[in-house]
Amino acid sequence: MVDVAVIGVGQTRYGMFPERTLKDLFHEAAINALNDVDKGLDPAAVEEAFIGTLSTGGAQLGNFAPLMMEAAGMVGASARHIENACASSGFAMRDAVAAIASGRARIAVAGGIEKMSDLPREKNRLWLGISGDVEWERLAGTNFAGIYAMMARRHMHEYGTKKKHITMAAVKNRNNALANPKAQFRAPLEIDRAMKTPNLASPLSFSDACGITDGASMVILCRADMAKEFTDQPVLVVGSGGASNYVAIHDRKSMTTLEGTKRAVQQAYEMAGISADDIDFAEVHDCFAIAELLAYEDLGFCKKGTAGKYIESGATARDGKRPVNNSGGLIAKGHPIGSTGTGQIYEVVNQLRGRADTAERQLKNVRYGLTQNVGGSGAAVAVHILKAAA
Amino acid sequence: MTSYISLPMYSANIDERMRLIAGKCVSCGQLAFPQRPVCTKCGGDQFEDTLLSGDGSLYTYSVVAGNGAPSEFDDEQTMTGDVLCGVVELKEGPRVMVRLADMEPEELEIGMKVRAVIRRLYDQEGIVRYGTKFVPA
Repeated sequence: MVDVAVIGVGQTRYGMFPERTLKDLFHEAAINALNDVDKGLDPAAVEEAFIGTLSTGGAQLGNFAPLMMEAAGMVGASARHIENACASSGFAMRDAVAAIASGRARIAVAGGIEKMSDLPREKNRLWLGISGDVEWERLAGTNFAGIYAMMARRHMHEYGTKKKHITMAAVKNRNNALANPKAQFRAPLEIDRAMKTPNLASPLSFSDACGITDGASMVILCRADMAKEFTDQPVLVVGSGGASNYVAIHDRKSMTTLEGTKRAVQQAYEMAGISADDIDFAEVHDCFAIAELLAYEDLGFCKKGTAGKYIESGATARDGKRPVNNSGGLIAKGHPIGSTGTGQIYEVVNQLRGRADTAERQLKNVRYGLTQNVGGSGAAVAVHILKAAA
Repeated sequence: MTSYISLPMYSANIDERMRLIAGKCVSCGQLAFPQRPVCTKCGGDQFEDTLLSGDGSLYTYSVVAGNGAPSEFDDEQTMTGDVLCGVVELKEGPRVMVRLADMEPEELEIGMKVRAVIRRLYDQEGIVRYGTKFVPA
């Protein structure tokens, strides 16, 4: 297998941009990524493209990727749309890595986009419920907030986790986003106030959830042996894992473990030749705060059932031993569905190169960074491990 | 892409839904409910219909706040506000995600005994969609 490097990353600000078009957003992410390639890259040199999206409520279902490549100024590349719900661009990244590792392409891009703000509320709720096991989970009257809530309820029941532990993840991420100029929600949140926000789907309250977000991101990858032609600071993709699981949580043995995460991260650790202990920081899929606690356990950062104590210890805070969602995560940086996976890569690459947008949130002495991107309630999971090139 | 449960899709498993018919794997005996094409235990793909009792206990639950349910439930939510849903572990073993009824949010508790009843779920395209809800046993 050919070693793979990231040579450029781009991302729009995340937020609500009713005045902007899909093409305009994707163009910005692409130009951002191209400009990030220090020594320049001819857009025509991109051979393969993988674009993740849940198709923005059906606004553009067919030929999504070629249309986005037009907006990126990269017409001609072999492009296709990748869909795995909220993990769409995590899997776009995985496929772009495979395209280069296999020797088929020298330069590939992974991208993602979603524009959620243009949809009427009832259509958003219709659309956000389509990634579960539609025939059964929908008829139970719940969207993903309720599904994650049921997982949270089990974690509290089985391990004594408190609602406060769950909300601590949301509070940490909201406060982390204060220093991230590209984050959607940049207002401080205190635990007491967060605990008093109205019920969303018990035990989760409004503060425990991500919002409705527009945004796009792109990652440019090449063969590691070519990377120095483009930048003096390439970042190596040392681990990649992907897995799927039963879509409906009622079909799984356990509701407090995402087997997809465990399987995907195991592949990524084996490929990188490292273990959880070596991970210095991570961006994980906190669509609802409980998901971050489950990720701590499933990624091996702490023992099963101890995520509540782990977050309470401060280990995952910005100044902790292993910062998690230093960007603000999905809850505060934002979760434009199709863009989330490559948006996580954007964050990790910048941290590893020492190029965080503000000095305040630049992590020190970081070697390995991990991303975990989840589709639905764990039906599809993509994990990547990146490392700064020596 | 406006995904919803079409009438043909709804009708295709209406027996299974209303009468609680599980598939019993011919090779290993494991019950599949909701029914599925492949057994999760042994990979077998031949099943015999088996009637479930409709008795079970609450495995987990959530009180979904007003306007948090899919839009098919809008009429109901306008009237009732919260939607109660949960996963029931049936006496025979399988678990299923369901609507809960005839109980107040504060009464819900993991382990409480529940039983299946036929109730109205919602109206769509001028047709009432009936389904199974679970109520206190």
